[in-house]
Amino acid sequence: MSEEEKKITEETIPRVLEQLKEKFGDALLEDAESENGVVVVVNKEKSYPLLEYLKTELAYSFLVDVTAVDNSNLESELMKFDYARFMVVYHLYTYQGETPRLRVKVPVNEKDLKIQSVTDLWKGANWLERETYDMFGIDFEGHPDLRRILMPDDFEGHPLQKDYPLRGRGERESFNFEKQNV
Amino acid sequence: MGLDFGLRADQSEGNFVTTTIDKVVNWGRKNSLWPMPFGTACCAIEMMATLASKFDLSRFGSEAIRFSPRQSDLLIVSGRISIKMMPVLKRIYDQMPDPKWIISMGACASCGGVFDTYTLIQGVDQFLPVDVYIPGCPPRPEDLIDAVMQVQRQIHKGELPKGAEVA
Repeated sequence: MSEEEKKITEETIPRVLEQLKEKFGDALLEDAESENGVVVVVNKEKSYPLLEYLKTELAYSFLVDVTAVDNSNLESELMKFDYARFMVVYHLYTYQGETPRLRVKVPVNEKDLKIQSVTDLWKGANWLERETYDMFGIDFEGHPDLRRILMPDDFEGHPLQKDYPLRGRGERESFNFEKQNV
Repeated sequence: MGLDFGLRADQSEGNFVTTTIDKVVNWGRKNSLWPMPFGTACCAIEMMATLASKFDLSRFGSEAIRFSPRQSDLLIVSGRISIKMMPVLKRIYDQMPDPKWIISMGACASCGGVFDTYTLIQGVDQFLPVDVYIPGCPPRPEDLIDAVMQVQRQIHKGELPKGAEVA
């Protein structure tokens, strides 16, 4: 561990939530601390600067997961964040400090399904954001190659949105081999 | 002995049988099935157990697993098949030389199982001619052995596989 990393570990990581509050005070909509780490909800405009700060200043070098939640059936969640239907969730991990796990949640409104991509911070975000786009239809701006990753290329709709029917819209029935390029 | 093919009676006794070419070929076929495994889920784990030493599918002549479809004549579909995977499976089946048999292993391959969802094929028999189905989630290795024996019985009886194109 270099001198610089040591300094980060000893001085800043134990107080990660205070650090974030100090720097992004107004942008933090909600925060919580538990055994499983720290959770912060941040508004969309400040999400990228916050994540950048976490990576470069607070040594959260590992992006564990990017995913989303569709809260359209959860009135209590919707009311809290100005009826933003989706919540994009980043799971972060650091190998230093006392709070290794940190979750950043970002409410995203249905009318403006866009959020800045973090692929330039963590290369691993590439496929995670593609999956989130595929399943929820969230557009990650600045992503180098935003296309479907799990569903077939000609699939229509985003199946993890709550209003998508479980048995699909006839994809299983109308499926044929000629259209698919293997 | 009443047989006179120019052989001495003591040589011929018990040393040859009369039969047809078809029967000999089918006898060879049924005892040397070369499976092409298509494992996509937990059924594949049971399939591996079947091949391993405890259950030992080689007792039935089927231990020569070929990961090239062009060298195999028994397709074992074990696991969920999604609409994105189905063309791949079809292409593998098409590459196998005739005659070829298909075992649909487990609930998912046979009917979609519990996954009645937008993405899953509700039974590979919608697209492929399945010869033997195995129920179970997942089936035990004994069930797979039973299915292989069922295929062997079909071959022994001289039945054509479901996928045989009758000209």
